[in-house]
Amino acid sequence: MPKGLMIVIKQTYRNHFKSRGYWLLVLSPLIFTGITFGVTKMQGNTTPNVAVIGNPAVRQVMMKSEKGLDLKVSAITSAAAATKALDKQTLDGMLTFDTHGATLTTQPKSNKINQEAISSILGNLARTQKAAQYGLTPEQTQALVQPYQLKAVVKQADNRTTNGDNSSMTNYGMAVAIGVITLAVVMWYTSMIATEIANEKSSRIMETLLAATSSNIQYFGKIIGIFALALTHMILYLAAGTLAYIIFKNNAVVTGIAHNFSGITVGFTVYAVCFILVAVALYLVLTAIIASLVNDNSQVQQAVGPVTLLAMIGYFFSYFMTNMPNNIAIKILSYVPFISQSMMPVRLVTKVETWPAGIIALLIAIITLLILAWFGRRIYAKNVLSYSDDKIMSQLIKNIKRRD
Amino acid sequence: MIQLTELTKKFGDKIAVDHMNMSLNPGQVMGLIGQNGAGKTTTFRMILNFIAPTSGTITWNNQPITQQDKQKIGFLPEERGLYQKLTIEEQVLYFAELHGMRRSDARTALADWLKRLDVVGKATDKVQSLSKGNAQKVQMIAALIFNPELIILDEPFSGLDPVNTSIMMHEIIRMRDQGAMIIFSSHDMDNVTKISDNLTMLKKGQVILQGGVQEIREQFGRTRIYVEGPFTQTELAQLPGVDHITPQGAGFDLVVTDEAVGHDIFNYVTRNGYIPAFSQQPPTLDDIFRQEVAHNA
Ligand SMILES: Nc1ncnc2c1ncn2[C@@H]1O[C@H](COP(=O)(O)OP(=O)(O)OP(=O)(O)O)[C@@H](O)[C@H]1O
Ligand SMILES: [Mg+2]
Repeated sequence: MPKGLMIVIKQTYRNHFKSRGYWLLVLSPLIFTGITFGVTKMQGNTTPNVAVIGNPAVRQVMMKSEKGLDLKVSAITSAAAATKALDKQTLDGMLTFDTHGATLTTQPKSNKINQEAISSILGNLARTQKAAQYGLTPEQTQALVQPYQLKAVVKQADNRTTNGDNSSMTNYGMAVAIGVITLAVVMWYTSMIATEIANEKSSRIMETLLAATSSNIQYFGKIIGIFALALTHMILYLAAGTLAYIIFKNNAVVTGIAHNFSGITVGFTVYAVCFILVAVALYLVLTAIIASLVNDNSQVQQAVGPVTLLAMIGYFFSYFMTNMPNNIAIKILSYVPFISQSMMPVRLVTKVETWPAGIIALLIAIITLLILAWFGRRIYAKNVLSYSDDKIMSQLIKNIKRRD
Repeated sequence: MIQLTELTKKFGDKIAVDHMNMSLNPGQVMGLIGQNGAGKTTTFRMILNFIAPTSGTITWNNQPITQQDKQKIGFLPEERGLYQKLTIEEQVLYFAELHGMRRSDARTALADWLKRLDVVGKATDKVQSLSKGNAQKVQMIAALIFNPELIILDEPFSGLDPVNTSIMMHEIIRMRDQGAMIIFSSHDMDNVTKISDNLTMLKKGQVILQGGVQEIREQFGRTRIYVEGPFTQTELAQLPGVDHITPQGAGFDLVVTDEAVGHDIFNYVTRNGYIPAFSQQPPTLDDIFRQEVAHNA
């Protein structure tokens, strides 16, 4: 690696890494997540407490299945005391019984009570009691009470079956995760690289830089430096995520999510991460090329706008795709660089596509990256020292047309 | 040695630099003068390979200038620019590093330079807090701190007060004495005369004068006479060979058609003995510049 390249990379990285702006960017989503989590926690005990009146047998059963019902059976057993507690809003619900069934009385500020769960457990109890009255054996009773099983299975071409329910959740979760990560990283870092280049150009620092180094070194140095920042950012989040997972491993929500993603292998994770990184690099190169046409900082948005739009398109398609995996347009788009990263990994994990197809899409993205970087080098060299009043996009088209 | 041979640059139909020849040796200062749009900046941009010449060559020790060579060039661009958000130190260290200097060496040298150039401010001050003159000094430091072998300064004195101008001139002379090749452009003939060994005068891209400063002036003959004494303007104007006359302070400036008439004028003004001043000089560069620009305009 040329020495100058390393210097430019280091300088780009160091300046941002030390800046308050970068840490604001890195930390604000974390802080936001932390606050949201904290607020949820601070609402305190949201498990409702329910008094079960006049039916000690049911009360016993409910106390045993408190966890499944997501409630706490109150110590109160008299109707009068329960009504009083409801008025004082220290009790969330009162369950009373009559010959036809049960009544759940709540008050306006009650925590949410899972009525279906209560209804289901009460129903089972009632059926068991009825069955006993009819003289059925416990086995017959059990068979009667057992809910009907409908299992969802997805048939794969290779004759393996996957748990359909799980993978449709995974599918959606993956699409959102990859889409959001790519879009966020692209939006943050394309405007960072564009601002950087526009600043050097408009302040005429570029001349001083190019007196010492070649435009190639500036171009690649900037791209790699900013890419390293994006990478650092992602690694920090990965670390934060791992830490959070270790701490909250036993939290119900976390285990739920982890369960949904349990079908994802290490190989696939590496693949998806590679794809995201290649996509980020692609967007950075494209932005660097466009930013070299900018005259001053006021044109940065004009340069970044189309790039962001492109990133958005990929993001929105990833939503469509979850609904219609076999649409031909979607199939083609999942090979198109700049968009493929939010489609192909999801299609791969949901077995709509096979590994060879996945690898081809990744290779196409990598080759596009190399070609774009190579040609961009020339456009960059030609434009960083010239100042044109033309619109950015018409300049770009002109540059592409005459590649002298 | 830097050698420009038949260097030409056209922008469309417009010729910005027209078959320029120039050579520059270590320990020499070359002043490049010319009106706005004469082609000075274009020449520098070609030496730095920012733009390609239409024809002609530029060599350093008979070789084309390579990327390695460029590291040894110190450049002060016409349009100054620094990173506003960085400190003086971060800024200068980065530029020095790009020119192959070690950061630690640059840090040590910077303290020296800040003192010598009398920069108001600390190395840890942000550039945006500096006055224009001080920012310009910082940029000058960035261009010179790594002891370049070739120094290109595009109008180094513009925007500086006389005290700072002489500080800068002093630095240029110091670098020259260390053996650097220096080429600079300026509109101020006075400064050019003071520090240039050679000068190149450009007009619409063409070299109209080139050579040693004194040599060029002599080439125009000693046609300027300054006298002080008890004379009237009309009296002096009627002397043979006097082209025109202007009062200047306590005396008169005379322009004569031929330097030989100086003798007769001297004899005439000293016929009664002592006078406080008589001086016969070649035209100043300023005079020559104006004359040449007006000529074949
Ligand atoms: N990129 C360009 N495109 C077209 N014409 C140009 C370009 N750069 C310079 N010129 C023209 O070339 C001529 C020389 O310009 P240059 O900047 O070299 O002049 P200069 O001697 O540095 O003038 P000044 O004293 O004003 O700085 C000018 O007529 C200018 O208009
Ligand atoms: Mg100029």
